[in-house]
Amino acid sequence: MFDDRSPIYRQIADRIKADVLSETLKGDEQVMSTNQYAAFYRINPATAAKAFQQLVDEGVLYKKRGIGMFVSPDARDSLRAARRESFFSEVVDPMVAEAKAIGIPLGEIVGRINELGSR
Amino acid sequence: MRFPTRLLAAHLAFGALLWAGYVVVIALFTVAVAIIGKVTGSIWELAAQLPRIYVLFFGVSLVREYLPMYVAHGQTRRRFAEHAAATIAVFAPCMAALMAVGYLIENGYHALAGWPQGLERPHLFESTGQAGLVFSEYLIEFLAWATAGALIGAGFYRWRGGGLLLTLPAGIALVLVAAGATGSELRMPFVAKLLAFRVDLPDSLPVTYAVGLGVFLAGLALTWPIIRDVPLRNR
Amino acid sequence: MRVEVRDLVLRYEDTFAVDGLSLSLAENKIYGLLGRNGSGKSSLLSVLAAFRRPTAGEVLIDGAPVFENAAVTRRISLIRDVGETVDVGTVEDVLFFAEWLRPHWDAAFAATLLEQFSLTRKMSVKTMSKGQRSALGVIVGLAGRAPLTMFDESHLGMDVPSRAAFHDVLLADYMAHPRTIIMASHLIDEVSPLFEEVVIIDHGQVVVHEEAETLLSRGIAVTGATAPVDAFTAGMTVLGSRELGPTKSCMVYGELDEARRREAAAAGLQLGPIAMQDLFVHLTGGSR
Repeated sequence: MFDDRSPIYRQIADRIKADVLSETLKGDEQVMSTNQYAAFYRINPATAAKAFQQLVDEGVLYKKRGIGMFVSPDARDSLRAARRESFFSEVVDPMVAEAKAIGIPLGEIVGRINELGSR
Repeated sequence: MRFPTRLLAAHLAFGALLWAGYVVVIALFTVAVAIIGKVTGSIWELAAQLPRIYVLFFGVSLVREYLPMYVAHGQTRRRFAEHAAATIAVFAPCMAALMAVGYLIENGYHALAGWPQGLERPHLFESTGQAGLVFSEYLIEFLAWATAGALIGAGFYRWRGGGLLLTLPAGIALVLVAAGATGSELRMPFVAKLLAFRVDLPDSLPVTYAVGLGVFLAGLALTWPIIRDVPLRNR
Repeated sequence: MRVEVRDLVLRYEDTFAVDGLSLSLAENKIYGLLGRNGSGKSSLLSVLAAFRRPTAGEVLIDGAPVFENAAVTRRISLIRDVGETVDVGTVEDVLFFAEWLRPHWDAAFAATLLEQFSLTRKMSVKTMSKGQRSALGVIVGLAGRAPLTMFDESHLGMDVPSRAAFHDVLLADYMAHPRTIIMASHLIDEVSPLFEEVVIIDHGQVVVHEEAETLLSRGIAVTGATAPVDAFTAGMTVLGSRELGPTKSCMVYGELDEARRREAAAAGLQLGPIAMQDLFVHLTGGSR
């Protein structure tokens, strides 16, 4: 997955998604305003608003007119589902490629995984 | 038009401060002269040569500093011109009044010490106690020097050296005409010699004032076309 | 305030500083005005602020011509390094006149800013450091709350913490009191996050006028082995490229749809963002 969207968008989105996954931000909880994000990251509020809009489009946040942005009740579940879906392509596949490149036998990796799993 | 209170306040405060310091310095100087020599007449008359240079630079700085400041604060050049004209029109009489008060103060300590207070040069007034005439002479002188300063300042701000060449003769002419009108020692010597023509105005205060006012208005009229669309300098 | 510039020409004696420039700016956005030295950006700003009368063309602000138009100019502020608003006596004097001449002046805000930039009222402007003088200009510009506020290289001499403070307070005050702000600066990567839209001018003309995010998304660095990079970028607007052995990185300008992105991935190419500053360098003709 190549992401050449602006680093600013990624910063905001990653922060919010991480907070949702770790349940720092719970379902139906209000997130900070675009202005607060703009001030924090020292960016134009329109840029912050755009990042928020993309999170709305992705279903992570929803808007309450005149009040602000809230975490979608199913945001955590869908983020987890999406992460699960991309887990193999984004984490396992590159790991296997890396292991091949530096000459680690796959059996050794499986052994390590089993060892970690049984702890 | 909103009255240019702050422009005036800043200059009047500074002018009054300079004047107060100057009065003290001249008084001390007079005492020093009395100690090492003899006081033969009014020292303030001599000292009064200097303030007009200050008034000239007041006129220059109005254009050089305050025109760009007005425009940068979103005011028009027209508004600046109105304010500058009103500022000169109030500043000149205030400074002239201070000059007259200067003579009166000198009268005081000369009388106490028994020094004479005679005048050496031709003036509109015959004695230093004629406060009204003293005021009139310096008023007309300062009006001329301030507008000449504004004119020269405008020429230099807009065209640098070339502007100086252009406006300096006009500025000198304003000052000379005013001097001629008050009957002081600058009775248009160059013009008179050059044209073998001498303007001897009748001893009439209204005529003197009319010429003074004419000089002031002529100075403003010459300055306005230079600043009405002047670009602010980049450096 | 809305700004409408049509076919603007500004000539200094025999050189054209602005040469047939047209531009339209909407209300209440922060604009970045970028250009190389001598590109005409300072000249453009001086015309917008009625510091100069245009040689030809039209400058309309909220629909009205700007030069010597008091109703318009009183709502415009341009702060530049020349220091028109600060070169009088002390800080106190500067504020004394600003308060009196600026219709929207906020004295309390100015006092807060003085403290923030560690300036005192007694300071003489002539003996200040360059950075302090710039900070004073910034204070006059911000506290003036002009509906069209412009800063032309107003950061000159300011150190990094002062510039950060300037940007913080500019953003906060812009959000509290939305207005049209135009910032010209050479420190592009430092100020570009503040911009909603970017205008790049070169040789007295507009080269790019784009939303900042769109501009950034159009600039893409394509990196990989030389042959596939060349094949992928053929026919695209290539701004510049660099090679390191068998690896090549090409900066392209344009949009890439999903299909093209997959194509790049299949060819083993990496796509990455380009910093605003690099985009600027290449859009204005590289190092000349």
